Amino acid sequence: MITKDRIDTYINKIPPTPKALKDTLMFLNAGELTKAAKIAQSDLALATYLKELLNKPIYGFKNEITDVSQIFGILGVSASQQTVYNYMMTLLSPAKWQLFKLNARVFHELQAKLSKRWEQILNHLDIKDKNIHSSIALLPASIIVCEALFSEKIDDVTLLKETKNIDYNTILTRLCGVGIFDICEQISIKWEMPEEISKIVQASSGVKPIEDKQLNTLGKWMHLLLFYELSQSIFIEAGLNDFVDFQVEYVNDIYEEFATLMEIA
Amino acid sequence: MRAIVKNGVGVFSPQGFLDGNSSSSFLSIEDIAATASLKVDMILISLKKVVFFNKNGLDTFMKLFIKVRQENHATVGFCDYDEKKYNAIKTFYQDELNFSLFKSLELAYLFSSSFKNQNKNVLLYGEDKSQRSAMAIELHDNGHNPIIAQNAAEFKEKSSKKEAYDYIIDNTFLGQMGQKVATRVTGNAIIYSISSFLDAEIGNKFNIEYHKNSLNVGFRLFIFDAYKVISMNVHALNFFSRLASSGAEYNATICFVGMSFEKTTKSFKETLEDSGILFYEQMDDILKNKELLQELGASSAANSKTKRVINKQTVTELPRFIDATVATIEMMTNSKAIKQSAQVQNVTIVEKEGKIASSIGYYGAMDGMVILVFPKEIAKKACELLIGEKTDDMEMVLDTLAELVNIVGGKI
Repeated sequence: MITKDRIDTYINKIPPTPKALKDTLMFLNAGELTKAAKIAQSDLALATYLKELLNKPIYGFKNEITDVSQIFGILGVSASQQTVYNYMMTLLSPAKWQLFKLNARVFHELQAKLSKRWEQILNHLDIKDKNIHSSIALLPASIIVCEALFSEKIDDVTLLKETKNIDYNTILTRLCGVGIFDICEQISIKWEMPEEISKIVQASSGVKPIEDKQLNTLGKWMHLLLFYELSQSIFIEAGLNDFVDFQVEYVNDIYEEFATLMEIA
Repeated sequence: MRAIVKNGVGVFSPQGFLDGNSSSSFLSIEDIAATASLKVDMILISLKKVVFFNKNGLDTFMKLFIKVRQENHATVGFCDYDEKKYNAIKTFYQDELNFSLFKSLELAYLFSSSFKNQNKNVLLYGEDKSQRSAMAIELHDNGHNPIIAQNAAEFKEKSSKKEAYDYIIDNTFLGQMGQKVATRVTGNAIIYSISSFLDAEIGNKFNIEYHKNSLNVGFRLFIFDAYKVISMNVHALNFFSRLASSGAEYNATICFVGMSFEKTTKSFKETLEDSGILFYEQMDDILKNKELLQELGASSAANSKTKRVINKQTVTELPRFIDATVATIEMMTNSKAIKQSAQVQNVTIVEKEGKIASSIGYYGAMDGMVILVFPKEIAKKACELLIGEKTDDMEMVLDTLAELVNIVGGKI
């Protein structure tokens, strides 16, 4: 159905980071917001993306925000970096979703929701590392990868999924020995993202715990957060609820804390 | 979201958080309609991968339950939960708990009327006495040996000896059970358990598809266990007469066991006898009497009616069968199949050692059966994707092979 070669071709096709983004990230890394904003302004698509994001209701601003430097100022260094990564992810997303009933707007919504809640979690855990902040940006890559690999074989996978309750990650791992989250890691390497990012996202798959205790706990939070969001009706309708397996035992020890933080009654 | 059907039980497995908003998205109107028209004995919602639910979340499924019950009398409920979730559900629905709760899917299979593995020793305990008896009766009807623990202490003591029982049931609740006629197979006979008042509803409760399939497969002896029948009316009489005459062309025999005619008109018995139904006092009168069994046709499954000749229609469709099989095996093993030659010929499998087979029947515009014969290794390889690991457990491979032929069937 899907072969190792197909995966390799897919990874090879991932475009390298555009120059403007690379520079923006470099300046953000150095903490120079104004310089970063200047370069970001030159990439019109990025500028539009940022504007659309900040004017979403979840950010709750009264007036429209249009200026990129203002946006970076509001977000701060770590959130700006994360947002730029989020933007890079959208470059990878398909023009037309077939496997999942998504579109650019819904996908953007998912990114925004994940980012905002991840920030809330990190504040609660008192973690300020900006790479950890950015790690959430890589998570939706798993959905993109899944869509890209399986959309050609929709009939086969639906038949398979009708017969047995089996998720995409398991199908891929069993067929090729490589999981969806392994491919996400490949993407992060190709885009020269910091190492922690891919580690946390790997742990957040719920099936590959890592040794580093702090990163593993963050993986748990991310796993639970992912399913918290995927339990929202718009993503259930998109068919995302069971694209990977939810590991209830893995997140058991942080569930109470999560529930209090998200105010789940 | 669609239910995954196995062994006559349809299961939904939502993940994550179930509240009023989310759970309504799991079930669209089409999903509910599709589920209600499934030919299954049970529809269950698995709570295994749910970390949080509230009453609103579960309420959405009630709509599904009502619809399913109305349309096909199946048992409905939840399964795969821990004690905390069990207590929560019981508190939510205190007095109106009319659906069932099964601790795990495996236990639910025991209560489903088409479960094939029978004669299991089952230890069961429930706080409520009437619940305990209800479960025991259901299990017995389905051909198991229930052992009831009378109190918590006894249950604790008995359940510590896990190896003595095939299954241990606790934290399980039987709501309004599906009113499907329970079915079990002994030797070459099929036993249906019927009870209380038999009226026009019997047509809905009786799984006629299953009966037809059994006839097609070659079963010829059908026994109705009617110990618990109080009385029947003319609609039920009609139903059974028709059942008998429709089975006649297959040379099938229908027997009633333990039916008392205290509250039923005597003339009904005569009418039924006229249509070819036999009456016996006790089950053992039939099952222990080998000669009688042979006479009634329970000794061999071969049936003249099921012998079919290969006709043009089947031959023209053959390439599709072959393509579907090839495509499935290719998909499951990620390998390439090479077609060597295709011809119609008598198949004699000389070497039976190391080969396994699985079959699927199809009825409709064309009738027939596809049998796939695999060398053991290829079968294991083909099932690896579904099982996830290499295994030598033949039962598991065969079980999975059944799913595989299902996929082949789907591809045709």
